[in-house]
Amino acid sequence: MKYRSLCVAAALLLTAAYGFAQEKTAAAKPAASATRTADGHPNLNGTWQFAIDLPPGSLKKQGGGSVALKAVDQSSSRRGSPTNIPGALPFTAAPAYKPEFQDKVKYLFDHESKTDPVFYCGKPGIPRIGPPRRIIQLPNEMVFLYEDISGDPWRIIPTDGRSHLADANPSYYGDAVGHWDGDTLVIDVTNFADDGWFGEDGYFHTDAMRVTERLWRVGENIGYQATVDDPKVLAKPWTAPPRLVKPSTEPLEESPKCVEADGALLQNNDHHGQR
Amino acid sequence: MRKTSSRWILAALVVAAGSLWAHHSPSAEFEMGKNVVVNGTLTKVDWVNPHIVVLVDAKGADGSVDNWKMESNPPAWFRRVGVNRNDLAKGLGQMVTVEGNRAKNGSLYMYMRKITFADGSSLELLNGQPPEASQ
Repeated sequence: MKYRSLCVAAALLLTAAYGFAQEKTAAAKPAASATRTADGHPNLNGTWQFAIDLPPGSLKKQGGGSVALKAVDQSSSRRGSPTNIPGALPFTAAPAYKPEFQDKVKYLFDHESKTDPVFYCGKPGIPRIGPPRRIIQLPNEMVFLYEDISGDPWRIIPTDGRSHLADANPSYYGDAVGHWDGDTLVIDVTNFADDGWFGEDGYFHTDAMRVTERLWRVGENIGYQATVDDPKVLAKPWTAPPRLVKPSTEPLEESPKCVEADGALLQNNDHHGQR
Repeated sequence: MRKTSSRWILAALVVAAGSLWAHHSPSAEFEMGKNVVVNGTLTKVDWVNPHIVVLVDAKGADGSVDNWKMESNPPAWFRRVGVNRNDLAKGLGQMVTVEGNRAKNGSLYMYMRKITFADGSSLELLNGQPPEASQ
């Protein structure tokens, strides 16, 4: 009897301890919700607004006795997004190149319509493509889907603590690993091809470029910001202006093929960029 | 430069230059200060990046045909103002009127700002942001 009482008491203690532990776990990792995933991280899942700059303006559609006017919503684009975003890092408008590379940047910028690889359907790469159109958040990785005139790239970014690949080939979207810094997803990207630009204004880089992307929730929106470092050509790392990206109900669509035919028709170097 | 003929009218209408967009400036390629009007048969609609392309055959009084090629805004732009390829392809094989800006090199190439179909319906790109969508 005494033995049985001890067993019951022990069972009660274990049950209480288990319950306490469960409560503690539940407190540390809140249940999945619109803003948190089951593992407690901010929920970045979703479809997000097309964030690439498009021509300004609107379309007037007439027919059947009615007139409809619709403007392009560019509130998530690089030029349309606000920069006073809570949680953003301090930023500057433009990167600082080492003095010996400043003439090259100016030349590339002045001749952008002839020298920018993206003008001729090239891949914009990271960070130039900007925030993704679709995020699929899994416990150990993030899947980013994009829409772009150069094709529709995707990225799978491990968040399980693994290191960069030792033998990855260089690419325009680089080799990425992510981790959570509090409520901010931080993505470290390395191993870039050396013939891309990280910005439209002649911002060339080398194979030493390293990009840090940050994504975080701002209410129903997400914040996106990138820091670029390239010790071979930049005087110091550059943190770009942040972007505020709104949710979207518009499904992703395969981008039509890119056939740039204007190059031979250009009569001067006038340009204004896309991203 | 081809000789001006009655099959298309070169009107010296001043339009707001520079607000049409591309990743090059339209002013590098097109005569932004002059409005061109082309009447002809819509023969092709290519839904391609970075600009959609339409082909129009404009027939002259002497029976000769000018094969015009017109580009316009990117597919992503049209998609986001609620227009898809079918909205233009409905006019294939029919007469259309296209207004826009001709290439500076004088070729039969232009930037399409407005297309009017045989049934009177039209699509027109407007510069700047309208105050609000209207009916």
